[in-house]
Amino acid sequence: MAATKEFSSTGGDATVIGPSILISGKLTGDEDLTVRGRVEGELNLSKTLIVETSGIVKANVSVRNAIVSGVVVGNITASESVELTREGRMVGDINSPRVIIVDGASFRGHVDMGNAEPRPQSERPAARPVVRPATTSRPATVPARAAIPVARPAAKPQPPPIAKVEAAAKPENKPAPPPPPPQPVLVGEAGKKKVLVKKKK
Amino acid sequence: MANTIIGSSIVIDGEISGDEDLVIQGTVKGKISLKESLFVEASGVVEADIEVQNVDIAGRVTGNIAATDKVELKADCRVVGDVRAPRILIADGASFKGNVDMDVKER
Amino acid sequence: MATNDQINIIGKGITIRGSLTGGGDLVVEGRVEGQVNLKNHLTIESSGVVEADIRADELTINGTASGNIDAGTKCSINQSAKVNGDIKATRVVIEDGAVFNGSIEMDVKLPDDI
Repeated sequence: MAATKEFSSTGGDATVIGPSILISGKLTGDEDLTVRGRVEGELNLSKTLIVETSGIVKANVSVRNAIVSGVVVGNITASESVELTREGRMVGDINSPRVIIVDGASFRGHVDMGNAEPRPQSERPAARPVVRPATTSRPATVPARAAIPVARPAAKPQPPPIAKVEAAAKPENKPAPPPPPPQPVLVGEAGKKKVLVKKKK
Repeated sequence: MANTIIGSSIVIDGEISGDEDLVIQGTVKGKISLKESLFVEASGVVEADIEVQNVDIAGRVTGNIAATDKVELKADCRVVGDVRAPRILIADGASFKGNVDMDVKER
Repeated sequence: MATNDQINIIGKGITIRGSLTGGGDLVVEGRVEGQVNLKNHLTIESSGVVEADIRADELTINGTASGNIDAGTKCSINQSAKVNGDIKATRVVIEDGAVFNGSIEMDVKLPDDI
């Protein structure tokens, strides 16, 4: 959470669709958009879409980043990343170089990350500042969830999730994942079909 | 501050409905119907028919406006369309073209 | 419980072609081609490559997998993983950095009015 506070100023760019609002039609823009209500139709943004827990987006979405804690029905094309948080629910296809699905999220559809080869860590444009262990995803759910109640007060139009993305946009190399622990070398016979199964414990 | 803000770079082509305050700094085309107040700020451009309780216009509105309570046209606003509301305020400097109807049947 | 405590490893130098079935947990550091059908937990380590349709109760992928996956409870695709294929599981987790192409089928509870 500390990381999200540092980047809380995003200037005047803060479009918020409140919980009782329904927009149906086509929405385009060059700023972050937070949806707490409902948007139906088509959504094109050059920045970040944040669908909060109360938010429902029933639209084909084209954005730079999307953070989904609410409901999305439709396809998302993101030039950078799509994240389904713990409470995110989505039905549709995702087309984005980075897709993050956190434990607890539910999703049905196709995922296309494009390139078949994983990029080297340093090339990844937006490493998240959130520190987490490389092997389990559990802790990653915590910041995403904790951010939501903080976003509620109407007095401050920039909710932390925006800040989080701003933070993520800073180029910051994520440390490479730790190498796999050295494993016992198993002496298999040269034959290809030979199965060697070892009891570890 | 209102819950819903349509920022200055946002363009919405379609319908907006709801029961909370709405602030428009960007562009909305189509239709707006709200049970609460609408604020069209100086940078806001609305090409839509508007049905609200209150509306404050400092930007540009093209379309018919029907308010159940009050319509306020601020200085420097530009409004083209018919306005129907029990209370209508037009500030010095406001530009307005259209009919005014304050004889509202309801309430 | 005896089978749950048992961890089997397919080491780095090993390639298996054919179908692999059983209980107990399995860790793949080598290569498996064909079919995998496990009652418990399958882990594909970062050196591991599995080109197979996989059925397991739980699946953790740090390496490479291609083929369709049917995981009973959970399928975790970790940072270093590269996965191609369709996944069916109650819970699917994709970490940042993982590469995945394919479809995911989970139970999605949508609001009624959608």
